[in-house]
This record gives sequence, structure tokens and C-alpha cells, in this order.
Amino acid sequence: MRKIIVSVLGHDRPGIIATVADVLFRSGCNIEDVSQTLLQTEFAGIFIASCPESLEQDELLDRLRAKLDPMGLSALLREMEETGIWEPPPVEPFVITTLGPDRLGLVAGVTELLARFGVNISNLKAVFRGGDDPNANTMIYEVDIPITVDQRLFREALRERGTELGIDISLQHREIFEAIHRV
Amino acid sequence: MLTYREVLSTLEMLKNEHLDVRTVTLGISLFDCASREPVEFIDAMSAKIESCARNLVKVCDEVAVRYGIPIVNKRIAVSPIAVAACPCGPDRMVEVARAMDRAAQNVGVDFIGGFSALIEKGFTRGDYALVEAIPEALAVTEHVCSSVNVASTRAGINMDAVYLMGKTIKKAAALTGERDGVGCAKLCVFANIPQDVPFMAGAYLGVGEPDLVINVGVSGPGVVKKAIDRAREANPGLDLGQLSEIIKRTAFKVTKVGELIGRRVASELDVPFGVVDLSLAPTPNVGDSVGEIFQSLGLGSIGVPGSTAALALLNDAVKKGGAFASSYVGGLSGAFIPVSEDLNIARAAERGFLSIEKLEAMTSVCSVGLDMIALAGDTSAETLAAIIADEMAIGVINRKTTAARLIPVPGKRAGDKASFGGLLGGATIMAAPGAGSSEFVRLGGRIPAPTQSLTN
Repeated sequence: MRKIIVSVLGHDRPGIIATVADVLFRSGCNIEDVSQTLLQTEFAGIFIASCPESLEQDELLDRLRAKLDPMGLSALLREMEETGIWEPPPVEPFVITTLGPDRLGLVAGVTELLARFGVNISNLKAVFRGGDDPNANTMIYEVDIPITVDQRLFREALRERGTELGIDISLQHREIFEAIHRV
Repeated sequence: MLTYREVLSTLEMLKNEHLDVRTVTLGISLFDCASREPVEFIDAMSAKIESCARNLVKVCDEVAVRYGIPIVNKRIAVSPIAVAACPCGPDRMVEVARAMDRAAQNVGVDFIGGFSALIEKGFTRGDYALVEAIPEALAVTEHVCSSVNVASTRAGINMDAVYLMGKTIKKAAALTGERDGVGCAKLCVFANIPQDVPFMAGAYLGVGEPDLVINVGVSGPGVVKKAIDRAREANPGLDLGQLSEIIKRTAFKVTKVGELIGRRVASELDVPFGVVDLSLAPTPNVGDSVGEIFQSLGLGSIGVPGSTAALALLNDAVKKGGAFASSYVGGLSGAFIPVSEDLNIARAAERGFLSIEKLEAMTSVCSVGLDMIALAGDTSAETLAAIIADEMAIGVINRKTTAARLIPVPGKRAGDKASFGGLLGGATIMAAPGAGSSEFVRLGGRIPAPTQSLTN
């Protein structure tokens, strides 16, 4: 089955998901996954849908843009590859939390290290409101660490990076959070 | 997806509240090492301990790093030596203790428990030999811990055993006199000893236990105290019922983490997981104290009137939260109040808020007993035995575990300081109750088991 990915970006308002879903429905597409998020005032949504072989990609994009452009929203559409370009290795789930004052390069500094160790981010929530209150400047990364990564080396590297960036970084196994908070 | 609040509150427990796993204890059965030839037993025992526990410390350290939660102590508990090495005489028993010590050292654990006898109803030859060997065994070894069960709800109190333990404690103190009688800090006298305690000095592997098993002792006095403090700060109007709920929830979290870590260690060692012991175990560090919890609950100090009620609330809430978190709960499971091992309790004793009589009253509602209490060096064996008998009676009648770990510090008197080092801490010597128990203790025999009905 042919699949497409649609992503939509722009200023949030009621009716965005309804508009995209309506165009997909009228074009014979079946939504398999959808996720949206809001950052401050901005909306981002991503849809994966299966669609008829006969449907032209450009035609669907034109239909989407015809509806979304007047709402001030951008749309992107591409075919979903059947086989992955990157196959994940066996991993264990962890949570990396950072607390500390805002400054330039925090996300870049942490993620460069994660990329170097082959650590994949599965979810990220970062809030920087400035000032010195550590709780107002946090990053919470849910990550998958390959089991081949040396935990001690990785921990040490994170700690050093935290010192360089002036923030407090902790690494915990995700199971700890689930054990404590889920019944 | 985890919520922001979940992540930050967990982080607080881990970073600022001393959440750790206090001990992972590997139980090793020695019954397959039994032999009429002591040398054969010792060789088989040493080989088994060293092979089974070879990876214990390494695996615990790896799991601790992986989960970011310290495993403070790695320990071994073996079958009661008086049973496993029954044919040995006292000299050979000391040799067994030395071999246990060497094995513990070789595998890198901090304590090995099980130099133990179960004599609540009477003695075998091995029991006599082991008890006779205890003072020397504890003096010549560093890592060996000893426990002796002298009473149970089903058997009553073996007063001959109680008196013998009074004398044994005196000898153990004398043989380690230059170190304030530290031998006695490694010796616990029990009523209703559980078969799966992971904590020292009481840990041994019971006769109904598997060949190998991992038992876990969680910690958490710091976590409980901070949870109470935070809740009271946010809402000063909380009553004791609501505070009990907060302790319960905290105990749930602490227990879940303990079981998670214990199961991971057990699975990596390919050993069955046994139980989580829910005890709140303090250390001589600020912020890791059971005594401080009493102050968070509004008492001036542990030991003032109200302390027994506060301890009852604490102990019960910990059990309720823990029992919900884990289906396999065992060991002692309650709040420890070891005087020398808890900075706050040691200070309360020093300032006169805590007497041996108040401690005894408190042990009727908590899990252990008269724990790590330093007494004057001239306390007689009969007085020690009488204190033990009182403590055993509380356990026997209330169908619970109680224990006594008493240290008559040679050459020191009430008010002097004693220091035992490391986790064992230090304490001011308490005034022992007056003499006058000798005739009662010397009567001996066995105080019959109590009736199980007509409970009042």
C-alpha cells in the first residue's frame, strides 16, 4: 500500500486538523497516524495516510494548499519510503533532564553529544524562559541508547558537557520513572 | 510519553533525597556442602560462595550505573552455620568463620551473614559449638555477622539460650575491647527471625529458601522526611491521616524502585528474586535519618511522649505503601531505630530524650528492636540477658520480629562516648537499668509459647 506523509505548520487556530482531514478524506486517503504539537502560538502537525495508487502527489498537494494557504499555513507532502534508511539498533530507553540558566547553544551542545554516541531522541520537551530559575529552563529528552554504548563513558561525557554548558544534566533509566509513577 | 511533573518529581527524589537501594543480598544455601569432615565442609563452602557470588558486586555496580541509582551495600547471607556445619566443634566453627570472611573479601562484599543458630526450643551439638565460637569468630573476622534466634511465638522463649547470649555478648565485647566492643555490633539476638532478611547483622538464608536467591533492602528515610516536609510546607493544615497517606505514597515509590533494581540484578545473575524488605534503614549521615522523621511529624525529638504513636503511624504507612508496590515483601519490613547508626537518634539519646525503656516501648510497634545500644562495660551478663528477655517477650506475644543488638562497651560508663566506625556509627553510652534480674534469669528453662486466642 502506498503511503504519504503530510506536515502542516503555522499559527494555531481552530479547524486545522479538520481541514487537512477533510481534504485527505475527499481524496480517498486513510489516516493511519497523526500527531500535533503546539509551541507558544505555533501549530505543527504530521499525518501518515495510505492513499489510492491513482492519486497524483501534486494534485493532492494542490488541494491541501488551496485550503491551507488562506489560513496562513504551510504544507509539505512526500511519499513514505517502504524500507527505512536508518535501522535502529537494540536500545534501552532513558530520560535525560537538564536544569540550568538559559544561554545560546544548549540544545546544540547536548544533541551533538547524543548524535556522536548514536543516541536517538524519541521525544523532546524543552522550555527556556530565561533568568536563573533552573525550573524555568529545562530540557527533557526521552532517548534510546544503543545497548552497545558504554554507560560510564556516556555518563561522564554528559557530565562534562553539562559543566561546559553551565547546566545540570542527569541521565536516568526510563523504567525508574514508570515504576514510580505508573500503577 | 512522560509528563513534565513526573520527570521533575522523580529527579528530586533521586538527586536530593538520598533515594538508593540500601542492600542487595545474595542468599547462598550451604546444605549441599555439609560433611562430617569440617575441612571438607570449609572447602566446599568457600568454593560455592566464591563461585556463586563471583559477579555479584560487578553486576550490582553495572545495574546501579545503568539506572543511576546507587546500590550502597552488596552482601551475602548463607544457611545457618550451626545447621550446615553441625558436626564442627567450637574451634572448627571459628575456622568456618575465618573461611567465610576470606570468601567475602575475595568477592568484594562488605558483610556476610549466617554465622547463625536457631535455638528457640533447644540446642544441637552444632548450636552449642557455634554460640561458643561467636566471640572469637567476631573478633578475628571483619565481615562476618552472626544472629541467634532464641524465641518464637510458637516455641516461647528459651531462657537458657537467652542467658547464654548474655554471657556470649559479654565475651564478644571483651575480645574486641580495644575497638569499643565492636564484635557485639555484628551480633543480633532474635525472636521470630525472618528467613529472608537482607539487612545485617540479622541476614541469613532460612532452611525453606532456594539454593540461591536475591533479596533487596530498600532505603528511604531521607525521601520520606522530605516528602513530609514538602507537603507540610505546601499545606500546613495537613493532619496525621493525610501525612500517613503521603508516607504511604512515598513508600510505594521507594519499593517499586527497589524491586526494579533487585529483579534486574537477579535476572543478570540468573538467580531467582526473593523479596523486597521495606525497612527504612538510616545511616549516620544528615538527611538519611529515621529520627529526623519524628521532627518532621512535629515532635521535638525522637523519644519525647508521642514517639511511639508517631513510629506506629510511620511503620504502618511504610508497610501499606510497600505492600501495594510489591507482591513479594519480606524480611523485617518496618522502621529501624538503631541508636548509633542514626545521627539524630544518637543525639536524642545523648541529650536524654531517649532511654532504653522508651526504646523498648517503641520496639513494640516497629520492626526490629533494641538496636545498636551502647551500655556500660560493667553491665552484667544477667542484666543483658534480662534486657534481651524483655525484648523477646514483646516479639513473642505480639507475633512479630524483635531483636537485641547490645554493646556493653568495655571500660566505659554511662555518658561516655563509644565509636564503632563506618555505617555502625557511634553513640553515647546509655544508663542500663539497675541490677536485680539475676535470680530470674538464672531460673532458666523455656517460657511457654503464648495462647493464640484470647488476644488482649
